[in-house]
Amino acid sequence: MTKKGKGDAMIGSGKMVAVFCILMALLCHEPSSAGGIESLLPEELPKGWAVVEGPKTFNRKTLFEHIDGQAELFLKYGFMKSVFTGYQNSKRREDQIDLDLYDMGNGLQAFGVFSRHRNDNRPGGFGLDSYLDGQSAFFYQARYFVMLNSVEPNPSILKQMALAISFRIGDSSRPPREIGFFPQQGLKPGSIQYFSEGLLGHQFLKKGFQGAYFDGTKEFSLFIAMYKNAKESGHALKAYKDYLSKKGKVDLSSPTWSGDATIKGEDPYKGRMICIQKDSHLLGAVGFETLEAGEDRLKELMMNIR
Amino acid sequence: MGRRKFVKGLSSALLGIAAPQVLRVSSSSGKTEKMPALEYRTLGKTGLKVTSVSMGVMNCSDPAVLLRAFDLGINFFDTADCYMGGRNEEMVGKAFQGKRDKVFIETKVHDHDEKQMRDSVETSLRRLRTDYVDVLLWHELHRPEEVSDGRLFEFMTKMKREGKARFTGFSAHSNMAGLLKEAAVTGHHDVALVSYNFTHSKKLKEAVATAAKSGIGVVAMKTQAGGYKKEKMGGFNPHQAALKYVLKDENISAAIPGVTTIEQIEESAAVMGTSLSRTEIDGLKTYHSFLQGRVCTMCGGCEGECAYGVPHSDLLRAMMYHDGYRNDRLAREALSVSSAAQAMERCSECPSCTIVCRRGVDIRAQIRLVQELFA
Repeated sequence: MTKKGKGDAMIGSGKMVAVFCILMALLCHEPSSAGGIESLLPEELPKGWAVVEGPKTFNRKTLFEHIDGQAELFLKYGFMKSVFTGYQNSKRREDQIDLDLYDMGNGLQAFGVFSRHRNDNRPGGFGLDSYLDGQSAFFYQARYFVMLNSVEPNPSILKQMALAISFRIGDSSRPPREIGFFPQQGLKPGSIQYFSEGLLGHQFLKKGFQGAYFDGTKEFSLFIAMYKNAKESGHALKAYKDYLSKKGKVDLSSPTWSGDATIKGEDPYKGRMICIQKDSHLLGAVGFETLEAGEDRLKELMMNIR
Repeated sequence: MGRRKFVKGLSSALLGIAAPQVLRVSSSSGKTEKMPALEYRTLGKTGLKVTSVSMGVMNCSDPAVLLRAFDLGINFFDTADCYMGGRNEEMVGKAFQGKRDKVFIETKVHDHDEKQMRDSVETSLRRLRTDYVDVLLWHELHRPEEVSDGRLFEFMTKMKREGKARFTGFSAHSNMAGLLKEAAVTGHHDVALVSYNFTHSKKLKEAVATAAKSGIGVVAMKTQAGGYKKEKMGGFNPHQAALKYVLKDENISAAIPGVTTIEQIEESAAVMGTSLSRTEIDGLKTYHSFLQGRVCTMCGGCEGECAYGVPHSDLLRAMMYHDGYRNDRLAREALSVSSAAQAMERCSECPSCTIVCRRGVDIRAQIRLVQELFA
């Protein structure tokens, strides 16, 4: 081997080592892709706790066997697979914790299913967003939705386990950017939800986000309905107008700031509403008491979406 | 299930075609609207007169859908302690506040020790903003011995005695025939909520009849046998047809399709008082094939997966018309477009197919079949 050849070989082996190191680093940071969903389960358990059941994995066909009818909600949010494990306190055998870890395919779906379960703003300080009370803890992080339920009140154990799982997921993806579009003023904390279909209970609004606001007298909602393109959002706006014409009221006046693609009126089940088309989105406010409150928040939402 | 056997099974359910509607004033909008003619059935020995099309609230998150159902005249609503961490019950409670005496509410409890079950029922009542539920069910029984479990029966009896539940029963997603038969013998249950749709066997139908005869009010869930986009079925509405199929069985007291939108509950309610047509029977056969993964549903999931960029979806559509609709004229029409002719030619030259279907349809076999049949 010539000197040059030897050098090339060294460079080549150096490159291989570098590639190996990068691969190893990736594998360490992405245990989900390396060792399957089970690899995200906590390795070290809180003192006095042991696995009593599982891990059992479920797919789209078998999820019903595990959580019966609730599976439908998960399937609507793109459920891929899940793993269940039961833990038991060795001193008090009736004290048990169930852990379900769901792979929802992506962060948006994981947030969606998280938001549909959260019924109060009680962040636990783990994952991208979380909920913690005495007997349950749940959070989403990256493409995963994690749920822990305890028979007895065990908030600190639940938190400890949630943190351990969050660490193992390790992914530092950010929350869906649409969450940041909602104006902060008057926003009810923890109220933003993502719907994979039937936003506001309407087929034509399809998928999108909804957040609850308080205008001093009444709670109302802001929403962002998302479509493939402006043509689709235009069709949806027309469908909304038709619905209001038939079942509610359409007000022919529009605010000067919102442009032509605006409908204002009264929804039979939600009260006063205003909806604006902005490119491939429909943005709206429904159920407000004072027009100013609804319009001001909507104007802000509109400006936040660029 | 073969086509002939399937059609024979459905044909017995054929009656005249009717689409009754009445003009009523909507309580929410005050406008006069065409509303479905309501059909009531008796929920077994409970004696409750429930609308044959009722509502599974489980996946619904918007009270407007519940209020629309109420406006349409639907009076029976099914929820559970665990749906959306209790949020579902809260929504039902809020939506029907002030209307409690006009609706029947069904919720569920899981098998635990008595204290936990009692806590669960109390929590449900609090969320539902009521001091009683009309029907309280054991959530998800699996084995016949659970149906006759004395401990569970004792707890339910207490709930009735304490006025927390007017009637009790169980729900099941699997082994339904065995559970219903056992329930008919024990006499412990007033109501059974079971999966029931056109894909189920004759055995289940018989068990439903046995249970109904014993006085159990049988409520059907999972009536749609999964979801499907009707716009991809040439105008045929599988949801309505599937619901009609369930309601043709008079042993079913009510069907509770799980709906999430106002449009879906309107579509479901419109089924009351109507019957299955021959076209719908054929359509259900197709739908059944879709669900079994035998035929492509045109979901688009495999688009762009051909390594050579062949637009193979026209070929799959042709097979859908041939196998599902039994309509070779439509199949030939689908193949007459130039992209289909191109795909047919290129696919026939290809030694391997890399396209994978997530629903398990053998795409390679489908393409081969279309070539054999129509090349």
